[in-house]
Order: sequence, then C-alpha cells, then structure tokens
Amino acid sequence: MNQFDHLKDDDTGDNEDPAANREGKSDSSAVNNHNNNGRRKAISPGAGEHPLQYNYTFWYFRRTPSRPANTQSYEQNIRQIGTVASVEQFWKLYSHLVRPGDLIGHSDFHIFKEGIKPMWEDEANKNGGKWIIRLRKGLASRFWENIILAMLGEQFMVGEEICGVVVSIRFQEDILSIWNKTANDQVTTSRIRDTLRRVLNLPPNTIMEYKTHNDSLKDNSSFRNTKITL
Amino acid sequence: MSAKPSKSCPIPTRVLHLKDWSQLPDCYSQTPGGTLFSTTPGGTRIIYDRKFLLECRNSPIARTPPCCLPQIPGVTVPTMPPLGKLEEQEENDKDLTVDDSQFEMDI
Repeated sequence: MNQFDHLKDDDTGDNEDPAANREGKSDSSAVNNHNNNGRRKAISPGAGEHPLQYNYTFWYFRRTPSRPANTQSYEQNIRQIGTVASVEQFWKLYSHLVRPGDLIGHSDFHIFKEGIKPMWEDEANKNGGKWIIRLRKGLASRFWENIILAMLGEQFMVGEEICGVVVSIRFQEDILSIWNKTANDQVTTSRIRDTLRRVLNLPPNTIMEYKTHNDSLKDNSSFRNTKITL
Repeated sequence: MSAKPSKSCPIPTRVLHLKDWSQLPDCYSQTPGGTLFSTTPGGTRIIYDRKFLLECRNSPIARTPPCCLPQIPGVTVPTMPPLGKLEEQEENDKDLTVDDSQFEMDI
C-alpha cells in the first residue's frame, strides 16, 4: 500500500448546494456585532479596523474514519466557521483556531472569498484549478499562515482570479492548495506560481503541481494525476 | 465592496521617483496604521504586506474572542487563546519585579 492509497478516498465535490451548511451560517458567520436583530448579518469592517479587499469565509472539513468517502460525506462534513472583513477580524478568528499542524486525521481548512464554496462545482470554480505544494510533516502551520497573509494582503496581483486557499492534513504529508477561477489562463497561473515561490520562500527545485477541477471531478480525486512543474 | 455604476474613463497616471518619503504627493490615501494604497491597474486595491498584517495581530480588537464561534472539538479554541497565555506571562513578570525590589529592601 503506498501513500497514494490514502489519497484515493479523497474529499470529493458534489452536485448540490449543501443545505445543511446554510442552516449553520447564521450562527457561525458573525464575527463583529453591529446589529443584533437576528437576521443574517452582512459582515463588514468595524470602526478603526483595516478592511480587506474581499470578505473571506473559513471552512473546515474532516472525514470521519468510519464513514466511506463519497459525495454525501463531503457536503455534510464541511462546515463554515466564520466570515471576516478586516485584518483584525481575521486575527480574531484565526487566533482561536487550532493550527493545521495540530489537526488530527484527514482534515482540511479552507479560506475562500465570501460567496465561493470550496467545491469544484461552485460557479467560481467550475473552470478553475489549483496549484498544490506537498509539505512534509511539520511545515503546514507556518506555510498555511504565510499563504493566507499573501492572499489577504493581495500579493498575487491576478485581479479577481484567486478563489481561496486550502491546507489538507493527510497521513504522511500535508498539502497546500490555492484555487483560481480560470485554469487555462496561463498568465494568471504563472503569476500565482511565481508569487507562491516568493511568499513561501520555496527552494528553487520545489515541485509545484497544477490540477484543473474538471480533472478532479473526472478522477474523483483532489491530489492525484496533477501536472507537475519544476 | 459595493459596485457603483459610473462612466468609465482611463485612469490618469504619472510616474514619480521619490528619494524621500516627504516627497510623497498629497493624493495618496492612507489607512489608519499607515498602509499606502492608490490606484493600480484594474482599479484601487487594498494591499497589505506580511509585516504589516503581523503587526495588526496584537491590536486590542484582534485579541478579543470572536462571538458565535462554533464549538468544534480539536479545531476551535473557545476558552484560553494563545494570546491569553501571553498576558498571563506578562503578569507573572510584573510579580517578579515586585519581588526583586522587596528582596533588595531586605538587604
């Protein structure tokens, strides 16, 4: 059994909006509290806070070991944690989450622009793809923080193309991903790749892999059969 | 960010080479805390570098716990955040200083 067998049962996309998610939204989305009338609040920067270019939503996924991986389990097990609109709100939330290096089992954190679900079939993702970087154990927490800061700080300079970032904790390695909207836009994907090398301080021979979400849908896998770039 | 309908026109640009911060023109905007932003190709974008983002981590707003955090064991930290421990350490340091002066008084 090689390490890819563990990735075989990877998180899958699905074809329907997770209704279960929407119910959770009203409890978990507010980070600041300007109006308390019980309606779903629009998240915005508080007074004196530094606004982000976009609002971002944090998500968490964990595959329970007993349950086999299928489309149902992904949509039911993915949860929203909160949405942030300012630098301060980001730190407030991020500081109260376990670091990815301390997560147990087959787990993912996602941080996506508000309104974009971390799923292949979302409108924003269906023509998109992602860069992935495989990390040996012990590196995830540091790299995760740095990729988030680069995204929130608009360091990628690719207009609207960035959808979000994911850190995936797996058996023998951890995987960092950054999703963009247009997989065949090589100017964009090249710029993202170059920015990643810079902001994550990657050694020059680091393998970077790109995979379109269409390909993921076809082989029902997030991390196998990627295009490898040196 | 709300979109306001407006006529489009090319953004007037000029290139400046500055030798000193004092030469920065008045038309630059500045957020509280000093991040500069101006018009970039594609429109105005809010850009923060890593150093600046890390500095914001210690602001009072950022350190208070978020409301409505879902309780997910092993994922969300409802009680003592890491920064809470830092505050405790500072208090312990202060206690040590007090003890030191008492010790000196004894001599």
